[in-house]
Amino acid sequence: MPLIEMDSLSKVFTKDFTKKKVCALNSLTLEVLEGEVFGFLGPNGAGKSTTIKLLLHLIRPTSGRLSIDGKAANDKNVRRMIGYLPENPYFYDHLSAKELLWFGGKSCDLNHDSILQRTDTLLQMFDLTDAENRPLRSYSKGMVQRAGLALALIHDPKILILDEPMSGLDPMGRKKVFDLILRLKEEGKTVFFSSHILHDIERLCDRAAILINGSLVRSIHVKKDLPSGKTLEEVFFEEVSRSGGLRE
Amino acid sequence: MNGIISLASITYKEGIRNRALFGIFIMALLAFALTVILTSLFMRDIVRVAASLSLTTIAFSGLLMVIFIGTNLVAKDIDKRTIYMVISRPISRAEYIVGKFLGLCLLIIVSIMFLGIVSSIPVLIAGQTYHNPQSIFSWGIYFTALVFIALKLMLIAGVIIFWSSITSTSFISLILTISVYIIGSTNEVVKGFLDMKMEGVTISPLTSAIIKFVYYIFPNLSAFDLKVQAANGLSVSVGYIAWTLAYWLIYTAIIVSAGALVMERREFP
Repeated sequence: MPLIEMDSLSKVFTKDFTKKKVCALNSLTLEVLEGEVFGFLGPNGAGKSTTIKLLLHLIRPTSGRLSIDGKAANDKNVRRMIGYLPENPYFYDHLSAKELLWFGGKSCDLNHDSILQRTDTLLQMFDLTDAENRPLRSYSKGMVQRAGLALALIHDPKILILDEPMSGLDPMGRKKVFDLILRLKEEGKTVFFSSHILHDIERLCDRAAILINGSLVRSIHVKKDLPSGKTLEEVFFEEVSRSGGLRE
Repeated sequence: MNGIISLASITYKEGIRNRALFGIFIMALLAFALTVILTSLFMRDIVRVAASLSLTTIAFSGLLMVIFIGTNLVAKDIDKRTIYMVISRPISRAEYIVGKFLGLCLLIIVSIMFLGIVSSIPVLIAGQTYHNPQSIFSWGIYFTALVFIALKLMLIAGVIIFWSSITSTSFISLILTISVYIIGSTNEVVKGFLDMKMEGVTISPLTSAIIKFVYYIFPNLSAFDLKVQAANGLSVSVGYIAWTLAYWLIYTAIIVSAGALVMERREFP
């Protein structure tokens, strides 16, 4: 059963002064099934982050339809079932990880005891217990990324939307995120994530979609549909060269 | 509702730990200390001078606090994309505006309470050192004046939040808020001149219409200034307090709602 449905979804941005129109997403039709790990691939500027922002109602579609669990994406209650990690997350400087997670839990109507219990579990899981009361501005990039993942998971969401979750992480950090996605998959969560690390997508995902210049060029079952002897990376490069490379 | 409460709470925590606030508090504490020294230079009405200086210090420090912290609240969220973290939760854009406003209000209330308590020290010292049995100073009116300063600052916070919902540039929001503050602090005086109808002075209908428009559109901030009454122990009628409170409530509700409506239309690419 599709949990996320995008039907002919388009997004056109209009530049402030020149009024020039830029099509960031062109008639994207895609379904993400419940319980699957879905990889979203594409070069920089392909429209991956635009799609994610549409899912989270940070921006509105110019045309097309978008639903999550059968509900329109502009319904704020839909976001109760979503955990989101932005690319290069930035949080409030003076808050601690504990306070950040309190905000995450409280805003999703978790009760006090649940927030405390989930906070302890997640801080331990992401090795942040020793730094739980330190202001987030004193965290390293990897620690901020881990705090962001903990925030995305605090309300035990059904869907995880992760924008470049492994960007800027050291090998240990990448391994942790990799293991986390595997664990979420085992728990039956739906994970939708974008990444440039094709090897990881190949190992983690059930399905992947390749987006180039705002258009979907290929959607594949990673485990079944890959041509024999070819890696996802090779398929990706083929698609990029077939589409004539990137537009400016 | 939990979304608004949680956002207001982290906005308050973020604000109260802001270094700019410490700087403003230190400046205010030095001004209170200076008040004790300055009052010793006066021969009479010393409590009046101490009360007047203390209230002026609080009003000015509060204004600095609201402007410096408030103008960055929304603009920084959008600039640093911290807003993604908030809007991606079950919090609507309108709730985001209300949550930010309430967080700033909480910061104002706590700060004014703190400064108000500390400000009573120079007034007490002045009263004890130069005891005057004829003094008509009233603590009740002094604390009413403090409440009115807090209300005025919350109204200004509403104005800041409104501008922040329109522009993402904190500098533009700052300039617009200061403009509203200057107009709001003087519009009653200008309207007073207009109503005086002095002989030999003719005011064109257009100028008169503009003055009336500005008077009704911009907030009347001078209505919240009770420094003179507090310093001189003049009573403030219950009717005046009730009307001013109603004006504050209606104006603040309208301006924050307008900000929420504008924010609902915005996108965060």
